Amino acid sequence: MTSTRNPMKGRVAFAGAATTGFVPRNSGRSQASWVAEACIKVLRECGLGPEDIDGVCGSSPSAAHVQAMLGIPEVTWFANPAIPLVNHVAAAAAAVHAGLCETVLVYHAAYRLPWNTAASLKDPFRRPQPVPTGPGPEQIGGSVGYTAWASRYIHEYGVPKEHFGYVAINDRTNASANPAAAMREPMTMDDYLSARMIRWPLCLYDMDVPVDGADAFIVTTAERARDLPLSPVLIQAVALGMAGKNDEEQTVDLDHHGQQVTVKALKAKSDFWIDDCDVYFPYDGFTIITLNWIENAGWCGRGEAGQFLQQHWDADQQRVLIDGRIPVNPHGGALSEGATQGSGHLREAIHQLQGVAAGRQVVDAQRAIVTTGGFFFNAQGVTLQRG
Amino acid sequence: MSSLIPDDELVSRFAGHQLDHDSAAHYRGRLERRLLISRCRECATWHHPPMPVCPACWSSDVEPTEVAGTGTIYLAVFLHQGPPAPGVDYTTPYPVATVELDEQPGLRFTSTVVGAANDDIAIGRRVSLDWIDRAGAPLPVFRLDGAAR
Repeated sequence: MTSTRNPMKGRVAFAGAATTGFVPRNSGRSQASWVAEACIKVLRECGLGPEDIDGVCGSSPSAAHVQAMLGIPEVTWFANPAIPLVNHVAAAAAAVHAGLCETVLVYHAAYRLPWNTAASLKDPFRRPQPVPTGPGPEQIGGSVGYTAWASRYIHEYGVPKEHFGYVAINDRTNASANPAAAMREPMTMDDYLSARMIRWPLCLYDMDVPVDGADAFIVTTAERARDLPLSPVLIQAVALGMAGKNDEEQTVDLDHHGQQVTVKALKAKSDFWIDDCDVYFPYDGFTIITLNWIENAGWCGRGEAGQFLQQHWDADQQRVLIDGRIPVNPHGGALSEGATQGSGHLREAIHQLQGVAAGRQVVDAQRAIVTTGGFFFNAQGVTLQRG
Repeated sequence: MSSLIPDDELVSRFAGHQLDHDSAAHYRGRLERRLLISRCRECATWHHPPMPVCPACWSSDVEPTEVAGTGTIYLAVFLHQGPPAPGVDYTTPYPVATVELDEQPGLRFTSTVVGAANDDIAIGRRVSLDWIDRAGAPLPVFRLDGAAR
């Protein structure tokens, strides 16, 4: 069932968002050092000190570690949600709205670890102890799951790989305007199509790029945010959608997974949807995820996302502008800014609505939709508006 | 009787797999080359992976039950790289297929497909169960129907 209840709507805000920028290599820095840099930056930009924070929320390092590292004297609420990032937004916003705390420091480190790149093992400090043995290759969990469902998508809709390529090229073009992005060299369709196959049908450029770096956010009440130096961005609705069959292998089909649940809930709880959206952030950890978000959000019909991107392709700019106006992942997304598990999408949405996105700024951006995560147990979204 | 081997020995035979009280019977079945899938004794609904209660009716009377092992490929990928495993060489992309079993719509089991050229392995192909050895334990795999054994 989808409830329209949303007493939190417009009452909780992002007061700021900051990034360290991302590098596509083992940085020689700890995860905590990236988090510290991002947190200190966002706190300074918001004019806040450690004593102003009474909630801490992030995945790794733990909230306890981050509180101690930054000398935050007291918190009355903290949490360590799993990725991706709308989990953190939901937890922090609900805690603020319920009064468990007033001002939450939300952080996320993107960090190259064995789960997303084997090259992380070159750094002895990133090696798990002991190295775990898996059950062998006959599984479709994790990365293989999206690849497997890409095979199903191609089977059902008979689409060419170029449809996936538009997602990758759009991200790469957008990243060239983002100094925080890890991958900024232009990409052509030939580059995309000739990339190394990793797991058929997906190649190297269908998968996001593992990076080191961090983002940090301040979540507080709309009233408090209005008293702080930066323009507030109000949270309209948050949804974490999950279908009953949420295992990669047992997911019913392409029409019954977490994305449909998320979209239904966001539409029921928000005052606006895609017709009034100025900038759109579909998750792109794998290109197949983006094609499905575009379809499930309602921009086009099932199996038509590639054609939709082609129809709205700006050939001069080599990127998508929906109706000549609405950019898609203007920061470069996970495929080119870096694999931030959604924090980059959220940060850029906030910066766009604050009007501080520099060379990527959408003129007079008022409303943004962020749909992060994939299909199974991590499809989620947030609708945001300028405060 | 392999079904009587102690839990600690079962865990060591399937090192790397996530065994627990709910999935142990499935793995004991593998030692006898029987593919056991959980089925509810109250409402007869199948489910996989093994869970402590039936997701359809919440009965805890769930019984690991042998399936025929016949079905249709629903998802198919070919790994150009992957985790090390004995007998697996990624120089030829390694097929991994999720098979919809004939016992119930949507009931799926994932493994590799043996004895076939990759070009012949595709969504929609009919398959049957077979067994190979993986590090001293039987591994359920599929063969394309009509392929030579």
